[in-house]
Amino acid sequence: MYWKYAAKRIFYGILMYIILIFIFSVLFNATNEATTKAQIEESLRGETTKMRNMDVQEVQKYMAERRAYKYHLYHLDQPIFQRIVWRTIDTITLNFGNSTNIKSAKGERDVWTIVSETIPRTILLFTTAMILELLLGVWLGLKKAQRAGGILDKSTSIATMVVYGMPRWWLGMIMIMFFAYQINIFPSGGLHTVPPPQGFAYFLDILYHMALPMLTLLIIDFWGTAYLTRNIVLGTLQEDFVMSARARGIPENKVLFGHTMRTSAPPIVTMALLSLLSSISGNILFEGIFSWPGMGNLYWIAIEQNDVPVLMGLLAITTALYIAGLVILDLIYGFLDPRIKVGGKA
Amino acid sequence: MKMKDLKFWLKDFWTEYKKVKFGIVGFVFLIIFLLLMIFEPYIVPFSKASSRWRDITYWDDNPSGAPPVWTNWFSSKKSPESEKITKYQSEVIEGDLKFVNSTFEYDYKYDKAPLDIIFHGRGTGNMIMIVKMERPDGETFDLVQMPIQTDGGNDIRITLDKDSGAAAYDFAQKFENEENLQYVDKTSVKPLDIYFAQAKSDMLNKIEPLKGIYKFTVTTILLDQESSYEDPYMVVSGRVSGILGTDNSKRDIWSGVVAGVKWALLIGLLTAVIAVGIGVVYGVISAYYGGFVDSIMQRIFELFASTPLLPVLIVMSAVFKPSIWTMILMMCAFFWTGPVKTVRSMALQIKEETYIEASKAVGASNARLIFKHMVPILVPYSFASMALYVPSAIVYEATISLIGLGDATIVTWGQILHDALKGGAVLTGLWWWVVPPGIMIALMGMTFAFIGFAMDKILQPKLRTR
Repeated sequence: MYWKYAAKRIFYGILMYIILIFIFSVLFNATNEATTKAQIEESLRGETTKMRNMDVQEVQKYMAERRAYKYHLYHLDQPIFQRIVWRTIDTITLNFGNSTNIKSAKGERDVWTIVSETIPRTILLFTTAMILELLLGVWLGLKKAQRAGGILDKSTSIATMVVYGMPRWWLGMIMIMFFAYQINIFPSGGLHTVPPPQGFAYFLDILYHMALPMLTLLIIDFWGTAYLTRNIVLGTLQEDFVMSARARGIPENKVLFGHTMRTSAPPIVTMALLSLLSSISGNILFEGIFSWPGMGNLYWIAIEQNDVPVLMGLLAITTALYIAGLVILDLIYGFLDPRIKVGGKA
Repeated sequence: MKMKDLKFWLKDFWTEYKKVKFGIVGFVFLIIFLLLMIFEPYIVPFSKASSRWRDITYWDDNPSGAPPVWTNWFSSKKSPESEKITKYQSEVIEGDLKFVNSTFEYDYKYDKAPLDIIFHGRGTGNMIMIVKMERPDGETFDLVQMPIQTDGGNDIRITLDKDSGAAAYDFAQKFENEENLQYVDKTSVKPLDIYFAQAKSDMLNKIEPLKGIYKFTVTTILLDQESSYEDPYMVVSGRVSGILGTDNSKRDIWSGVVAGVKWALLIGLLTAVIAVGIGVVYGVISAYYGGFVDSIMQRIFELFASTPLLPVLIVMSAVFKPSIWTMILMMCAFFWTGPVKTVRSMALQIKEETYIEASKAVGASNARLIFKHMVPILVPYSFASMALYVPSAIVYEATISLIGLGDATIVTWGQILHDALKGGAVLTGLWWWVVPPGIMIALMGMTFAFIGFAMDKILQPKLRTR
């Protein structure tokens, strides 16, 4: 039963992705085609500059032939609907074409190579931050729920609201200004020192560079996690089975971690994964502040250099990751909460 | 809802609202923001900041990258403040040539010299301008002497830093010892430092301030009858400036931050109201019709909900280069999904109420049922969620501006932060450029979070009891 549910959810996610990519292709069609045409013209000019022994007419004829060939290659000679469909298919098969400026670490200009380099770094930073945040947040949330209305609960709830509208990247700027330039205990950005150290030291070095962005993410995010955990746990604590567990004389810690947490786990996991997803989509500029060479930083570079192919590739990959995250979320949720698996009868 | 009902409901709501402490705090902050917005022209020194933010000439008289005035309180060496001196003594000598003398007094009581002193006035025709200075120690000398030809009452701007030439060196020469004079290059002397320094040997090497009243006399010799010189004023370009200092491009940050209030409120409130409005109506319609319509509408909703919002907004801004209004529309196009799920589940319950059935039996139309009987019940909930959407709209706009894709015709906090980032404010430690706009975003977010959470607290038990 679960596998049927899972298959359905995954299929649905893929369908959603295809539709979204199609919509993006329609929206950005004009820009994409202008960029492709400019790239074709550039490569044609490159080809013809070497041809010294041909006269003007021959060169023009050659260029026209080559142009027609390339237009055919990129499906630019077809009606608009077909062009958009081709663009969609190319995007889904990760065939983003070449960038206009940006190069990968090895100097390649293939967009997928450039983007795929950055994905692990983004995931590394945000997953680590999320795990830490979750541990701290859930712990604090439980403490808050235990003494709801107490000083700890009230003060942390106010902290939640204070950071509610605070942009993460702004706090990042402040943190860099203070920790990296004023008291100079953390590096101001980057993935590792140049040149990177070898072996275990390399690992430590990355951790050291990750410390400041992670601290920033933690400071802003874990209040929210704590607040939501508190509300969820508080709701569960009022259930009858908790009261009966307490009445049976089960120790408070066991009630809290055994009974309450088991029931509260699905929504807490949902919330945590949703916050990770919103991290990836909502904090993409955050990386730019810390020069953390992930996808967010690449967005920044692509916009500054007006590199449309890279931007489109990034958008497609971010969307794919986001939808994949939503699907995984539902799968985990279905796994944790058996009622979901039945499905379709809601 | 009739007017009387609304009034009653509001009164009821207010008595409940008053009980939530942080709700009151949020309300007070909101009032402060509104007051800042209304009285903007009266509380900022540069009232055209909003329209001429990117006009370099408008900010020309300010020092560049100067800290706020109140930093003086914490430093032992007092820096001169930027100020505009409009009080002057005027003296007109008629004759073959008309002389117009305007004398400004500047009370110098700081430990460092100002960066520049600038004289302004509206002039027409041909004239020769002479600026004289009388120091507290009695020394008097000419600083500037320049012919000016202008027409139509243009602004004449004379700065001591650029226009006074070698006057400072000549002045120092009188007192300085031979040895030092050999080493000091004529062009490397900073004129303002010398003008406000004690006249003595070694003054080029070790500058000590001479405090007291300085008199600057601007003498305008009008060369013919048609010429005129009016409305003179003097600007001291200090080392500290304004409530929040200035940025690299000499802009007054306080003026910019206050000018940003109205845009933040506009962006936040407009986006929240439109988006939540659409979301509520969408959710109700979806729940009301049910069946086929509902599943189609839910699929569309899911499509929007599974779009990564910020990346799409950023790419759209990069491709379409939107104005602020288009940006608000773009945000609305994605924000409406927020309340849909909750509203739909609430509307599903309301749909089963007997009074809906009763109106149906009487023959009320679908539109009447939806807009007269179902949507009004959800109004309290929508207000609470509107308040909670305001901060995210502001942050999204700020984020898009931060990357440099904002509307260049207005001033928003995000754009100030973008300039700060590009201008290396983080690197050079110009904290007064980075901290205030961010604090404002955070405060605005906090204000609406307080209001939203307070409303949630009041409205939830009423609405979500089953």
